[in-house]
Amino acid sequence: MAQTTLPQSLPAEPAALPLTEARQTRRQTLIGVGLLTPAALVALCFSIVPLFYLVQVSLTRGSSFFFTPEYTFDNFQTVGTRYVSTVWQTLKLASLASLLDLVFGYPFAYILIRKVRYREFARTMMTFPLFGPLYLAFGMFYILLPNGPFGSILQAMGINVANYLFSLPATLFAMAVFTFPFMVMNMGAALSNVDPVLEEAAKTLGAKPWQIFTRVLFPLSRGGILAGFLMCFGWNLGVFAQPLLLGRLQEQNVLSVVMYDKGLIQFDYGLAAAMGVVLMALAFFVTWLSLRFSRGALGT
Amino acid sequence: MAVSVETIVARPAAPEPRRFRHGALLAVVQHGYIWFWLAIFAMPFLATLFYSVQQTGGGLTLSAYQYVLGSFRDNLVLSAVSTVVTILVNLLIAIPAAYGLVRYPVPGKNLILSTLNLSLYTPAAVMGISLVIAYAFLFRIPQSFIGLIAAYVVGTFPLMLVPIIVALRDLPMVYEEAAKTLGASRWQSLRRVELPLLGPGISAGILLTFVIVFNEFLVTLFIAGPNTTTAALRVYTLTRTAGFQPSTAALATTMQLVSFLVVLLFFQVFGSRYLKGTYLI
Repeated sequence: MAQTTLPQSLPAEPAALPLTEARQTRRQTLIGVGLLTPAALVALCFSIVPLFYLVQVSLTRGSSFFFTPEYTFDNFQTVGTRYVSTVWQTLKLASLASLLDLVFGYPFAYILIRKVRYREFARTMMTFPLFGPLYLAFGMFYILLPNGPFGSILQAMGINVANYLFSLPATLFAMAVFTFPFMVMNMGAALSNVDPVLEEAAKTLGAKPWQIFTRVLFPLSRGGILAGFLMCFGWNLGVFAQPLLLGRLQEQNVLSVVMYDKGLIQFDYGLAAAMGVVLMALAFFVTWLSLRFSRGALGT
Repeated sequence: MAVSVETIVARPAAPEPRRFRHGALLAVVQHGYIWFWLAIFAMPFLATLFYSVQQTGGGLTLSAYQYVLGSFRDNLVLSAVSTVVTILVNLLIAIPAAYGLVRYPVPGKNLILSTLNLSLYTPAAVMGISLVIAYAFLFRIPQSFIGLIAAYVVGTFPLMLVPIIVALRDLPMVYEEAAKTLGASRWQSLRRVELPLLGPGISAGILLTFVIVFNEFLVTLFIAGPNTTTAALRVYTLTRTAGFQPSTAALATTMQLVSFLVVLLFFQVFGSRYLKGTYLI
């Protein structure tokens, strides 16, 4: 009897084991989902639902959405005709400022990674622009004030600050300084992955400095450069404070500023929402591209 | 023959000083370039600081700072309170979410993370207009403190989440398993073992949330009302309505100085390791 029951009970155990394992995994999954629920709820309520709501409002005329919605595609047509200059101005400012970052940021990141020992100090100083474009534009305005102390110093150096107080260069400069750390961060990450030995090898083999750049450094750090440029571009698309404080009306004709005026001052919610949707689409597209070229914070 | 030997010996010696000088010049240019940009980063702050302590007839005065603790006190208190509340809410939702994403077999992790990070990629003005519409007509909480906190939380909790995920990935399972084997409950293990080890990652998240929320003005401009004007928004509205006043400069200086001191303290204690790949360097 004992000999017959023993083999019967033995195969039963391996059969039962996968079941409990599956149940265990399912339990683990449920716990994981439970842990993610609060974060997902917050993102759903205050990010995803409002954005879908925005798309819906953008398809209604004026502020009719809140009384009897009149569905129409007119708002996007208006953005595409009367406000096409606003879209172009936004793209122009963002690309020029990001280009400035690229040109000045690349040598900065290279020197910082390869030659500088006081990197922690440099990082600390680089947090100033990150406190926000508002303080930056405020400070720059004061620097460019013709009768201020900084203005007179600059004037003595031969720079006529009165020409720059409300101008394209001042706006672009403030935008570029704000996004400079993002560019340096991305390029620095890319450059620190390039082995210095490769540069030395190229030098030993008789390459000129510009050859080292075009043949070795640039190809190896291209992903980081592109990611940095796109990240700066994405941030600069939503520019608001710098044109308002440092630009002329021409520079103030950007999507964020016009959207604020339309929505919260003229109560044309439909048009403001349409501009928001256009800006959102641009920003998401740029971010998507940027994430394709960088490995991202999680290395995935 | 003797002459040629001399020239062979002399030749390598001759360019030596020139190459050294060339190298030194290059180093000066390189470090000068770095310092030039570092100076540009600090200049707007220094200009604002100078403007706030400047007297009309010449000389220095701190009289503009009486407004910081006078008429701006409510704004500063609101900024501080909303920052602290946002940090607490962020911690409460980001730590469980990080555990869920790293330690548990949840399907579609990349999609979930992208969705949670969506608000990070949304331009502030778009977030502002979408929230002002949703608050007024969907949630019925226009111009409220709760709305303000919700906007800050949704905008910054990804910045809390990412450093904690990085720290949690670096933390081997061994510690948790050892605590469990030694008879610790899940809560004890979390409180005594894991949270202290995750400390730097969590504090990086706190720093990022602080820097953003304390200085945020654009989303606030859209959703705030007369009773929910933060200090950063006050700087903006005063600049737009009253022009450039020393009192506004004093408020802007105070905000930047507080932010900078917190960053400095953080870098002294933790370094910048856990900030890599996030908003700050």
